Amino acid sequence: MEKHSQEISQEALLKISNIDAFNGTLQALWGVSLVAELGEIVALIGSNASGKSTLINTISGFIHPARGTIEFDGRDISALDPFRIVTLGISQVPEGRRIFPEMTILDNLILGSYNRQARSNREQNLKRVYEHFPILEERRNQLAKTLSGGEQQMLAIGRGLMSAPKLMLFDEISLGLAPKATDELYKAVREIRGKGITILLVEQNVRRSLKEADRAYIIKAGRIVLGKNVDELREEEIKQAYFGV
Amino acid sequence: MSVEVLAGLSRPIIMGVLLGGLYALIALGLSMVFGVMKLINVAHGDLMLFGAYFAYALMTAWGIDPILSLTMGIPLWFILGFAIQKYIMSRAFGTSMEAPLIIAFGISLILQSLAQIIWSPYSRALEAPYALGGISLGITSVPRTYLLSFAAALVVMLVLRELLRRSYLGKAIVAASQDKRGAELVGINTGRVYAFAFAIAMATAAIAGVFFGLTFPFTPASGVGFLIIAFGVTIIGGLGSMMGTFIGGMVLGLTQTLSGHFLGTATQMLFVYLIVFVVLAVRPQGLFGR
Amino acid sequence: MEVPTNRLNLVVPVVLIALLTVFPLIGIPRVWLLYLFFFFIYLAMANMWNLLAGYSGLTFLGPAAFIGLAGYTLVIVTWNGLPFYLGIIGGGIIASAFAALIAIPTFRMRGIYFAIGTLVVPEALRIVFYLWKPVGGEMQGGGAGYIIKGISQLSLSDFYWLALAVGIVSILLVRTMLRSKLGLGLATIHDSDRAAACCGVDVFRAKLYVFVISAFVIGAAGAIFYIYQGYIAPVGAFDIRWLMTLLLATVIGGIRTEEGPIVGTIIVVFLHFLLARYGALSLLIQGIILIVIMLLIPEGIVGLVRRKTRNYQSLLQLATRR
Repeated sequence: MEKHSQEISQEALLKISNIDAFNGTLQALWGVSLVAELGEIVALIGSNASGKSTLINTISGFIHPARGTIEFDGRDISALDPFRIVTLGISQVPEGRRIFPEMTILDNLILGSYNRQARSNREQNLKRVYEHFPILEERRNQLAKTLSGGEQQMLAIGRGLMSAPKLMLFDEISLGLAPKATDELYKAVREIRGKGITILLVEQNVRRSLKEADRAYIIKAGRIVLGKNVDELREEEIKQAYFGV
Repeated sequence: MSVEVLAGLSRPIIMGVLLGGLYALIALGLSMVFGVMKLINVAHGDLMLFGAYFAYALMTAWGIDPILSLTMGIPLWFILGFAIQKYIMSRAFGTSMEAPLIIAFGISLILQSLAQIIWSPYSRALEAPYALGGISLGITSVPRTYLLSFAAALVVMLVLRELLRRSYLGKAIVAASQDKRGAELVGINTGRVYAFAFAIAMATAAIAGVFFGLTFPFTPASGVGFLIIAFGVTIIGGLGSMMGTFIGGMVLGLTQTLSGHFLGTATQMLFVYLIVFVVLAVRPQGLFGR
Repeated sequence: MEVPTNRLNLVVPVVLIALLTVFPLIGIPRVWLLYLFFFFIYLAMANMWNLLAGYSGLTFLGPAAFIGLAGYTLVIVTWNGLPFYLGIIGGGIIASAFAALIAIPTFRMRGIYFAIGTLVVPEALRIVFYLWKPVGGEMQGGGAGYIIKGISQLSLSDFYWLALAVGIVSILLVRTMLRSKLGLGLATIHDSDRAAACCGVDVFRAKLYVFVISAFVIGAAGAIFYIYQGYIAPVGAFDIRWLMTLLLATVIGGIRTEEGPIVGTIIVVFLHFLLARYGALSLLIQGIILIVIMLLIPEGIVGLVRRKTRNYQSLLQLATRR
């Protein structure tokens, strides 16, 4: 038994155990458990208001779970401030991008490496980001607000990469984008995973996310109703869990 | 207009522009705090005034030159600002919308009363030998203090601009003002950044206090006037623009000197207040604001 | 808004008022009368300020404008040989007229802009009254100060009764206004201007009514104050200390509560009397109290008591449930 749990804690980069979380006074998550192993792409699927964003924000530290724990890299991060969690290696690419509109692309990226550890490797990280997204290098002195939706999303992802994270949380990166732009983004996501970064993906487009992910969790009304390897999932299971028929 | 009238206007215009520099310097701290934290620090005027009194105390007690006293004033005010934001204002934000305003009023009250207790209600002024007299600028002569203040304003604004543009802290401050959540997501400790922003604002207030004190006399009640001017400059110039702040300063400076020229010095502040009021009613986002 | 209609609720205040009215006649010490004088004056103003800032979302930082204007109206009236009570009413009217006038530009200002905008008004008025000498020309002094004429026959008891009257009027006004349709409209405005407008509330008119009525009462109270003081000068009339006092009273008592201004004013006047001889030190202490209260008990004393009794009540309910 001990050996088994040791194995788990060595492999699982992110381990969420039975958390309850509140948005203000309303409970949004009930007994949620989730695991992300090193190098995986894990999809989190659910309809609107199912608690996806709350979960992401709880991992990032904007909400502290009322019960349960969140472990990252063997360390309990449930009570830490958001900026601390970034330092430890979790980077969130938020819904709505939240880039700095009146600053240049370069400045946006530079700020991505704000935390002390990432600062020393800034130039290398910058080069990597430009490899994933050449257009950011081209436009690096332009103001972020002049970018198109897809480009802004690239910027947001690039900025998230600048902190040299071990785990990246993507919250609805394809929202409002045309299929072609989405394809480009996901190509980059695969490249990022190829570099060894673990990814937790929240995505409205169920098919898309299942195409990219190794494992998927389905969340409904704040509870995890299903968690399986993607190739073991059947269509009816997904419909059941998602719509609750 | 006749040549005489135009020539006669040259002095108030030049003085107005120079005064505008000082006014911009006064407004810098308020503008920065407002831009970053969306907070109007109504104690700003009194904090600046206290900076003048502090320099006055050093001048009268040990004969320290006011500008030199800034070597003590700036770090002190920096620390004071950091502490006020970190321990008092940050807790007020969580309470309610009016809480920071009311607390700033409390600070304002405390400073005004302290100034009155220690230095009495009579007006004081800072003096330095190099600040006396005027300098001839060709067509007219202007008081040296006006030139000094203008120069100081330029220097401070340039330093601040470079700080905000080049340093990590500066960029963090700008970022936090544009998107707080975004800033937190890249690992910026916004609480600490706000404290630094407030600290920098206070440091500029200390500088503004000294230069104002060298140029004009002041009393414990002068704080409100400074606040109104600082606020006026901030909204006329619009947020987030150094150039805007400078222009805002000049608008008010020129209003003061020109109305003083045409209608006498008794009413000049009245027109300044009137302009501030009108801009508030008509275009609060200012001339250059986003 | 359920007002229990049992007799006790009417009897108690009536008895109280009757008692307060006869105070000067039954040999109450002068100091107490003076204390009560200031209490009722500040109470009237604090009630109105609470109505504006607490209930209507108008953080009005220029009450000194109404006070000073009413005071100078009193001067004009009494210097023209008219009785002082016309001066009080005139002061109220001028203050409300002024309020109506500045309502147009200031209501366009949102939130903090409204606050600073209204802060500018008394400062501007102070300059105006330094220069403008509405009557006579005596007592030039340090700038346009005037004595109040036609009041030499009045005694402290008279001042007291005037103050009592305006204080009671203010309480009644607050009670009726909050329970009226206007009060309902104000509650929605306080939460959200736009939402209120969508629901058919004429936002501008509602705010205007409160503003004008508050101006009248604040002005009248100010005029009564100047009858007591006997003279007025620009530096004191438009002083920011008026605002400080009202702010302190409302905040200590509990902003947005009916009883708050009463509790707060009791404490503020007590502080004034206690620290009167320490001049500026008294203001210093008030500033510290303001900060401490905002940090520790932002809902004020009344708010705190309500919260505690609510908890106590629900605990009681839990305990007595079967």
